[in-house]
Amino acid sequence: MTDAIDVDDYADVWVFVEEHAGEVMPVSWELLAEGAKLTEKTGDDLVALTIGEAVDDVAAEAIERGADRVLAADDPVFEPYRADPYGAQFRAMVEERNPSIVLIGGTHTGRDFAGRVAVPTHAGLTADVTEIDVDEEGILQARRPAFGGDLLATILCEDHRPQMATIRPGVFEAAGRDPDREGEIVDVDVVVDESDAISDVLERVVGDTADITEADRIVAVGHGIEGDLEPALKLADALDAELAASRAAVDEGWIDGSRQVGQTGKTVRPDLYVAVGISGAIQHVEGMNKSETVIAINDDPNAPIFEHADYAIVGDLFEVCPALADRLTDQRAMEVEP
Amino acid sequence: MTWTIVVGVKQVPDADEVGIDPDTGRLDRASAPAVMNGPDQHALEAALTIRDQVGGELYAMSMGPPNATSILEEAVAMGCDDAVLISDRAFAGSDTWPTSLTLARAAEALEADVVLCGEETTDSSTGQVPPGIAAHNGWAQLTYAEAVDARPDEDRLVARRDVEGGHELVAADLPVVVAAAFGEFPPRPAPLHRKIYGENDFEPTVWDAEDLEIEDEVGLAVSPTSVGSMETVQPVERKSEVVDDVDDLAAAVEEVFA
Repeated sequence: MTDAIDVDDYADVWVFVEEHAGEVMPVSWELLAEGAKLTEKTGDDLVALTIGEAVDDVAAEAIERGADRVLAADDPVFEPYRADPYGAQFRAMVEERNPSIVLIGGTHTGRDFAGRVAVPTHAGLTADVTEIDVDEEGILQARRPAFGGDLLATILCEDHRPQMATIRPGVFEAAGRDPDREGEIVDVDVVVDESDAISDVLERVVGDTADITEADRIVAVGHGIEGDLEPALKLADALDAELAASRAAVDEGWIDGSRQVGQTGKTVRPDLYVAVGISGAIQHVEGMNKSETVIAINDDPNAPIFEHADYAIVGDLFEVCPALADRLTDQRAMEVEP
Repeated sequence: MTWTIVVGVKQVPDADEVGIDPDTGRLDRASAPAVMNGPDQHALEAALTIRDQVGGELYAMSMGPPNATSILEEAVAMGCDDAVLISDRAFAGSDTWPTSLTLARAAEALEADVVLCGEETTDSSTGQVPPGIAAHNGWAQLTYAEAVDARPDEDRLVARRDVEGGHELVAADLPVVVAAAFGEFPPRPAPLHRKIYGENDFEPTVWDAEDLEIEDEVGLAVSPTSVGSMETVQPVERKSEVVDDVDDLAAAVEEVFA
């Protein structure tokens, strides 16, 4: 049994800045913006953490985007990412400095190592959070969808610290840059050594896969496409949109899992979301309901997606998509004519 | 050398059968039949793949009520050699911290070289338990594993992990906890004779909190997190305008970009 702690010994809001080979995951800047809202209420400092090799630029950018202080752990052992060195380093920083709140992006990396910090420190860890707030006593209100997305549960951690949460990418607006902002960069002791590592990255292949969470326009396909992407691709081309998919289309192997929208995929917030042959299961809707305008194309008049659409057409997507693409291309051609 | 492989399976309400209570508008989970968590079926297939490669014993373990025996019977039918039910009222109210502790202690007791789990459960979707098991035991972990390759000569397991925008190959020292990516290991059908054995003759070993010497470390009291409140998600207001032809749809699109 872990001894009771005095929660008053813990202060500050920490945000983990996730980077791989110098490339920062956008969710990190989303978390800095949300972290700043929390510190405005609590009066705490907003502290960014960078763990990697040669992360000076990343640390400097974290200051520009709102951090009061950056804790930088800089060592080759952290590149590429592995759960054991990251977890051990992060844990050591938490145990030495007692943060009250720790926010980590709900990426595969964040969800991989968060437990290696929360378990040994007996911290409360809430997964895949979509809304956060803090009350006057500094208790984090971490809200996450429950039971397939119909309910929003507020998870609390009253007697343990830190209060940790992994936060779903794409849900919040990113913090902007202010080159005039000033802050402190603190180099922390690196406590892990390559000889202690229990895992080894043999190969890492990261391509230029489109990040659908950043897209302004999305054409998403579902089971209704029956394995034929052509009509959706044509429409995406006409709209200059990114292609995305529901779980059903990913499970069928028609489209890559990195483009999946929904509870087990990504949250997107484009200006325009066109749902093609998607029935509209609640798990999918949860990932796209922050879209500005939703258009649904489906031949089933009873498809639930219609309840979540601004404009809907009941029709055969194999006819509607190419016709709509042609119509939009014609309109654009007319616009550019003198 | 052969390996001892343990797969964690959880009983969950069948997500496809969960209805909505017309009076409260809330999900009615009680009416849904209890089934094996879908991602765990894929973890079980990954476990069978590893056993096919290196040989050894494959155990299923489940933390749950006595009637979770049915999913252990299913696991045995699919090919597990034996199974353990970890059941005790003391576990009630456990969040992911004590849950992963319990499974970590059970994996130790079974002398696991490899523990497999689904990447998350369909009822709570935290994905925190597999890394939690690894963290409690100080073991290596391989999450979001899309493919597994046992290397018994090196005492290591290699997995291809899905990462944002690509993948990586990671080798982990044993013992290791693997969270299998859902959809990547479609489960093989159980042969009829195993089904008959599982349903009629098989009984799991049952362990309680005392057996695992964790009576004071489980349940609500040691869980760092608690559920404060539950709200029904309000649907986003939409125009819900049904259009009849493509021209109207094109006009709607143009309106978005106007």
